[in-house]
Amino acid sequence: MQLLLQQIVEGLASGAIYAALALALVLIYRATRIVNFAQGEMATLSVYMAWQLNQWGVPFVLCLIIVTAVSFMMGALTFRFMIRPVLGASDHTMVVICIGFFVGFEAVSLWFWGADPRAFPRIFPDDTWAIRGVRLTANNLGILVSLCIMTLGLSALFRFTRIGLAMRASAAEREKSALVGIPVETMLMLGWGLAASVGFIAAVLVAPSLFLSPPMMVSVVIYALAAATLGGWDSPAGAIVGGLVVGVAESLCATFIGFIGNELKVGVPFAVMAIVLLVRPQGLFGTAAVIRV
Amino acid sequence: MTEIHTEQILRGAGALAIGLALLLVPALFPSFLVYQFSLTLTYAIAILGLNLLMGFNGQISVAHGVFFAVGGYTTAIFMTRYGMNYLATLPIAAAISALVGFIVGIPALRWQGLPLAFITFGLAVLTPPLALKLEPITKGATGISLTKPTVPPWFPGNQDTFIYFVCLTGVALCVLIAWRLTHGDTGRSLRAARDNGLIAESLGVNLAKVRLAAFTTSAGFAGFGGGLFAIVNAYVSPESFQMTKSFDFLVGSIVGGITSISGAFIGALFIVFLPDWSADMNIALSGLIYGGAMVIMMLLARDGVVGLLGSLSRTLLARLRNARDNGDPIITKTRPAE
Repeated sequence: MQLLLQQIVEGLASGAIYAALALALVLIYRATRIVNFAQGEMATLSVYMAWQLNQWGVPFVLCLIIVTAVSFMMGALTFRFMIRPVLGASDHTMVVICIGFFVGFEAVSLWFWGADPRAFPRIFPDDTWAIRGVRLTANNLGILVSLCIMTLGLSALFRFTRIGLAMRASAAEREKSALVGIPVETMLMLGWGLAASVGFIAAVLVAPSLFLSPPMMVSVVIYALAAATLGGWDSPAGAIVGGLVVGVAESLCATFIGFIGNELKVGVPFAVMAIVLLVRPQGLFGTAAVIRV
Repeated sequence: MTEIHTEQILRGAGALAIGLALLLVPALFPSFLVYQFSLTLTYAIAILGLNLLMGFNGQISVAHGVFFAVGGYTTAIFMTRYGMNYLATLPIAAAISALVGFIVGIPALRWQGLPLAFITFGLAVLTPPLALKLEPITKGATGISLTKPTVPPWFPGNQDTFIYFVCLTGVALCVLIAWRLTHGDTGRSLRAARDNGLIAESLGVNLAKVRLAAFTTSAGFAGFGGGLFAIVNAYVSPESFQMTKSFDFLVGSIVGGITSISGAFIGALFIVFLPDWSADMNIALSGLIYGGAMVIMMLLARDGVVGLLGSLSRTLLARLRNARDNGDPIITKTRPAE
């Protein structure tokens, strides 16, 4: 029982990270109907920048703030120069382009910082508490709290601001939004920028435990894809729930199913994805696509 | 002479030239390069399979490295564990990969488009740890070493040359099959399913059957290539089949041109020789070029190098004809993209 609870706590903490990255994927999907496979690699590059700034003596918190803004720019520029020219092209094209980003961004990190893993500082203190034998770490709690703050912030942005409303409108009805005077492409660009910042935060949270290396986020992306699929691709709330569920499922399967263990953990999100796509392709909170003939 | 005739002759001449060049490779290049050309041919077969699936049938796969791995391991295991002749293992490698392709292909019928990309992406990530984990079968990280085939006494050349010709024979077989599949009725149903499933179905194409068959065949090609790869490389391990292999094939396919047979060879040359050449400068360079190539090709040259060459030659032909006729300003006939 104690082990079970412990694994659920661990699962929730890693699930929060998957949820954050899934949130970034969903933001982009909602805005442009593109699944950005490269979100994790873009985030890794951002984390490297933060690490480098920190090495140069910039205070850690300031690094994070600067790089959040830089990531935003990076996402927006990626959209502006490489997605916008082919906006509306087939899924096929978009997948190839995103895989291209995947390979390309990973290569950029490798180019500047090499393949050796580097330690990335923890944001949260090392305190631990034990409640009835279940160990809670400040790091895990910090990750969960960060996720909550980020979710609340984004919801507030989308719900209570004009720009959030314009972004939602552009995502839902591109042509009609343009007709009422919303600069749709700027909104889509903002969406890509926002997603890159969210992805960066996810990567910062996970970097201390994974160590910083160019392929750091490769498997995290699979978890995020599974989380978004489970939650439904057009539902940010679904991404959060999906991420937490995938995190807990991973942690439980790795502990209690001998064959999976630590090495085959990545099979869990794969299985989740396959099952959801077979049983309920629109996910838990997504809306089913209707095909009109 | 009409345009079609000139073009057909040009195409025929091009194919003949490529065939001759392939035959002459062992005579022109040193041994280690012949080895690399053999590798190129094995990759070309996998890319050919991917082209059949993506280019001619419109299904996405980010997981052809997986089928390649299945083929490689099948050949390695049948050679070492059951002492089979290397040639006899190749059909088995193709068949087992095709079976895996079939199993993935059935649910893929419901997963056209993005979901298929997720699942194949997941497979690509999952395969290397799975190969490590299935240690009793795959020997885990140690890998499986194979003995290279012995050169028969009648063959006038060294071992690398012999293996090269084995690969070349395999390639010829695959090109023949691919050519048959992409022409005539089969090709038309494949392309109809790609261009508009609904119309294809109403015209009597069994969409599910065509898509499943395409997936199975395509995986079979990749498995056959993987089997040959195991023979050429004489060693397989999870290291040979990293996730990046799947991306490499995708890059090769896109760069060569996804709707062409000859494009598979250009793509394979690209993914074999570029990393070698660029690693001298920076290990990250090939990744950068791969990523850039994929994005730029999608933005500018959707039909790859072969498509570029094709439109270039058509423009030139039109120019020539115009010069001869002293006629109208240059009008290049646009042909629907294959």
